[in-house]
Amino acid sequence: MQGAPLVEIQNVLKSYKNAPRPAVNDLSLVIPKQSIFGLLGPNGAGKTTLISMLCGLFSPTNGKIITNGWDTAVDSKKIKQIIGVVPQEIALYPKLTAYENLLFLGHMYGIETDELKQRIKYNLEVLGLFEHKDQLIKTFSGGMKRRINLIAGLLHHPQLLILDEPTVGVDIQSKTAIINYLKKLNSEKGMTIFYTSHHLDEAEDFCSHIAIIDEGKLITEGSTKELIQNNGCNTIEEVYLKITGRKFRD
Amino acid sequence: MKKLLYSLYKEYKVLVRDKAAMGIMFIMPMALVFVVTIIQDTTFKSVNETSVPLLLVDKDHDSLSVQLERALKQTKFFDVQKQDINQEEARELIATGKYLIGIFIPEKSTTRLREKASQRISKLFPAEDTLPSVVDTASLQLKLYFDPITKQSFKVSISGAIGRIVSALEMQSMVDVLKVEMKDLMPSSEEVTLETKPLVSTSEEYATNNESTLVPNSVQHNVPAWTMFAMFFICIPLSGNIIREREDGSAFRLLTMPGSYVFVLAGKITLYLIVSLIQFALMLSVGLYILPLMGLPTLQTGENYFTLFSIALSAGLAATAFGLLVGTIASSQDQAALFGAVFVVLLAALGGVWIPTFVMPEIMKSISSISPLNWGLEAFYGVFLRGVSFSAIWIHLFKLLVFAAACFGGAYYYQVYKRMR
Repeated sequence: MQGAPLVEIQNVLKSYKNAPRPAVNDLSLVIPKQSIFGLLGPNGAGKTTLISMLCGLFSPTNGKIITNGWDTAVDSKKIKQIIGVVPQEIALYPKLTAYENLLFLGHMYGIETDELKQRIKYNLEVLGLFEHKDQLIKTFSGGMKRRINLIAGLLHHPQLLILDEPTVGVDIQSKTAIINYLKKLNSEKGMTIFYTSHHLDEAEDFCSHIAIIDEGKLITEGSTKELIQNNGCNTIEEVYLKITGRKFRD
Repeated sequence: MKKLLYSLYKEYKVLVRDKAAMGIMFIMPMALVFVVTIIQDTTFKSVNETSVPLLLVDKDHDSLSVQLERALKQTKFFDVQKQDINQEEARELIATGKYLIGIFIPEKSTTRLREKASQRISKLFPAEDTLPSVVDTASLQLKLYFDPITKQSFKVSISGAIGRIVSALEMQSMVDVLKVEMKDLMPSSEEVTLETKPLVSTSEEYATNNESTLVPNSVQHNVPAWTMFAMFFICIPLSGNIIREREDGSAFRLLTMPGSYVFVLAGKITLYLIVSLIQFALMLSVGLYILPLMGLPTLQTGENYFTLFSIALSAGLAATAFGLLVGTIASSQDQAALFGAVFVVLLAALGGVWIPTFVMPEIMKSISSISPLNWGLEAFYGVFLRGVSFSAIWIHLFKLLVFAAACFGGAYYYQVYKRMR
């Protein structure tokens, strides 16, 4: 049922000790079910902190995050069952083969071995990696690693897939394969996708909803079309620069 | 359980494909135990007073030198080598380290010894019609040379041993002269025999709790010492493994899985505990089978195998927990490697791995008791050298387990209250 909220971020504030300002500051967002929700913002805007809180790793200093009706601060175990995470880093073991990596991570999700093997085979075939399954990850190209990184987050069929810059540093072929597969999962399986990226053209093409945050605060949000129209721009990149400015964020 | 097994299998695969870590954990300690045991063997031999190379220069060629040589050989402490050289050449040979000790017996030493004995005995039986003879008050001097590296305590004990031999020879000479005098005084009496054996004797034994008399030697010290070192050195690969997982995002991914990071940590702890037990078995095998092939003594393990296993398990757990703590606190692999290595080397030095605590000054002996490596080493000594049972070494194991619990607790606290906030 598209439109109903899967995640509700309610006035969330997150402060770190000795930090000059909160990493996330009174942020409220709703991520609708079956949407592809893009969270954009410059470096240091608070995207990674927000993802950590969505995953239940940190509790907000103030405010609440409700996912599928569960409070992340209380029911983080239940939430971890329904989310899949694809970190920005290649979170794989370089000295294990692609297959060994996926087998290990799948078992950590508690998937039965036979079922897991089928899912690994399917995903490797879809992303064109089956013939490379017995190669060590350290021998893979950047694009191949990214594709395995994605599969690792999908094996347990999560309701909410959280992607932190999933296409950074990959060639156009790998990027296209990843985005097309994610679109397929969203349209066919109804998977909700929460995505961050600095590739604004990719975000414009991929996301149904976009929120832009800066210095921990929400600047704007809405459907991709709405954002472009309401800001009198032609692309999301124009909207982004108009809202966040051209000042460096070093 | 299935998650734990898969985690263990993953850690195993990662470890066996990491050649550097395998080298650190298995090759390095074996190389260390080879090299250090061989280097320290001579030192331990000198401590144990066995086969000390001794140069004997005999310019006397009479009964004193013959009897002294025989007596030196009978002690079996000395490997007596005779050379016909002058005093300066003898001194040179000792100075260059070819021999640890040299004894130079001047010409006519036997004759002078007899004369001196005769003079002393004559004083006991002065003839009424003769003037007192002129007594040569300068003592007969045998020259002893020591290699400058010889420790004072060893020098004193060797001088004492040689002094005792010389005293016995002096006594014998005086008895011989006395016999002659007695015969002059009492021509009709039967021949006098005087027993020169010591009236008071001492017996020595090592106070072990079993029937064997194990002597501390380089193998008995170095095998358990470097086993402890190797076990604690796994903190380098273990902390590196934890930090790598954190840096490459794997830890982040695992933390987002339901309950999985606990299994991942349990897998790591189990694997590295197994590694430490394999290290123990390997090092024991080196002491039992490899070192004897190089002319070194065979490791004597005693028969308390349960106690030995308990020590290895406790030490392994302490080492693994320490690695986990270092991996949790350190912010980079470089920092963990540097901190871990320096800390383990320091604990090893304090704990008596390099230099046994029994040769340390008193203050260092007290300080060494704070090192977990010392607790393990003392427990191994208990079984290897003193033949004690579990009840005598449990306190060392208790300390190791408390140390392990403190490290696990510290790692948990840091992870939950510092890193995750």
